[in-house]
Amino acid sequence: MNKDMLVIGGGIAGIQSSLDLAEMGFKVHLVERLPSIGGKMAQLDKTFPTNDCAI
Amino acid sequence: MLDVGRHPNIELLAYSEVEEVSGSAGCFTARVRKKARYVDAAKCTGCGACTEVCPTDVTDLYNEGHSTRKAVYSWFAQGIPSTHAIDADHCRLFNGKKCGVCAKKCEAGAIDFEQKDEVVELDVGAVIAANGYTIFDPVKIPEYRYKDLPNVITAMEFERFLSASGPTHGHLDRPSDIAVKHEIAGLEKLEKRAARTIARLEEKIGEKSEAVSAKYAGGEVAEEHKDWMAKYDDYKALTDKLSTLKEKAESFTTAKKLAFIQCVGSRDLRFFPFCSGYCCMHSIKEAIIAHEHDNDTTSVIYGMDIRAVGKGFDEYRVRGGNNSNIAYKRSRVAEIIGGPNDSPVLVYEDTQLQKVVREEFDLVILATACGPSEGVVELGKILDIEINQFGFFKTTPENPVDTTREGIFVCGCGHSPMDIPESVAQASSAAARAVQTVTHEKLLQVS
Repeated sequence: MNKDMLVIGGGIAGIQSSLDLAEMGFKVHLVERLPSIGGKMAQLDKTFPTNDCAI
Repeated sequence: MLDVGRHPNIELLAYSEVEEVSGSAGCFTARVRKKARYVDAAKCTGCGACTEVCPTDVTDLYNEGHSTRKAVYSWFAQGIPSTHAIDADHCRLFNGKKCGVCAKKCEAGAIDFEQKDEVVELDVGAVIAANGYTIFDPVKIPEYRYKDLPNVITAMEFERFLSASGPTHGHLDRPSDIAVKHEIAGLEKLEKRAARTIARLEEKIGEKSEAVSAKYAGGEVAEEHKDWMAKYDDYKALTDKLSTLKEKAESFTTAKKLAFIQCVGSRDLRFFPFCSGYCCMHSIKEAIIAHEHDNDTTSVIYGMDIRAVGKGFDEYRVRGGNNSNIAYKRSRVAEIIGGPNDSPVLVYEDTQLQKVVREEFDLVILATACGPSEGVVELGKILDIEINQFGFFKTTPENPVDTTREGIFVCGCGHSPMDIPESVAQASSAAARAVQTVTHEKLLQVS
């Protein structure tokens, strides 16, 4: 049984999954197609409903 | 994002793609291709000196094509990892030209034109697909004239215009006005060059162009002055055009009257019959931020209805209406046509007045639908999981994050359209399911 995890996609969903798994003590491999993670969320200026900065 | 880069348990494989996943739940083997960045990740400090000297401009997709980046670049300024990458499709050196200035400039010696793709094999117990979505291309709706009318843009483009790190540094300049300013800049360069040529000729001959031109007015130009006079006429035409454009540019203001059109591609039987879920809130947010930038801004949001279902969402909608000059109009806009001053004109039926109305706006923003991710079919094949009729990964209501293959889970917009809070909640849920796959021991024995 392997306990490592593979997460495909470094947008907000992939980032959250990876951090949760890593915090639980699992080794995570996060694969992202683009040169940087962040996905669509990184393109957003602010997020609703709090108008917090997306980055 | 920063936490991901720093966490000791996370190995970040950016600029990489999964090519094959074999085995079964608990013991998968994944083959991942780390694409060549041509920059050594161990040496690159992310200082950006290479981008400063790179001579090649490339359309910047991070800014939705409204600015340019260099052929050696980082996807965006705060990108994680900060390692830069060379875009081999556009780099001069990879296109057979002489260059390599980035390598000379890089003090860390990180540029490596010989770098090759690297394939790594990973043994993993579970897989989470968080492959995201693709924004609907509104060119498919010809009546909205996206691309034909410069001041009809998508919500994501508008998002970049609002951003301080965006192409207009957060000013709401209209794309048509920006184009005129670019044209002025280009013509000014040409004018300078032409003025130098004329000055050289005047010095050589010892006469003023203006006087000589007046002398020849209406008559035959002497052979030895023909070339000079032709150049002078071109120069005059150039300055005239430039002054007209400059006069026009003086009247430019930022976009103050905005229209948001909802359900562009979604809830539309021609394209996606489903609701994209986040666009109503997204448009309200953009209208509120635009109003924060400039208190004169007014916005009208045109939609079949406003779907503000979520914690604090409806209050946000009401607040937008009360404090941010937002009007909500129940209407499905029929057509967008060009108007004077490059201002788009909406043609729609006002369902309360029961009248067809034409209204002019400075800028029209299309709330484009959330479509399935571009490479979803290939990824479905690689992971050997099924895709539903719309192109999202297939799940069941009982097991909302389980795909059709045991040990592979899905979250975020790869599952279905959803907003950030929902993606985050589902991502945690998928993480918990992944842990269940690899954990057999029951931590608490139920007695």
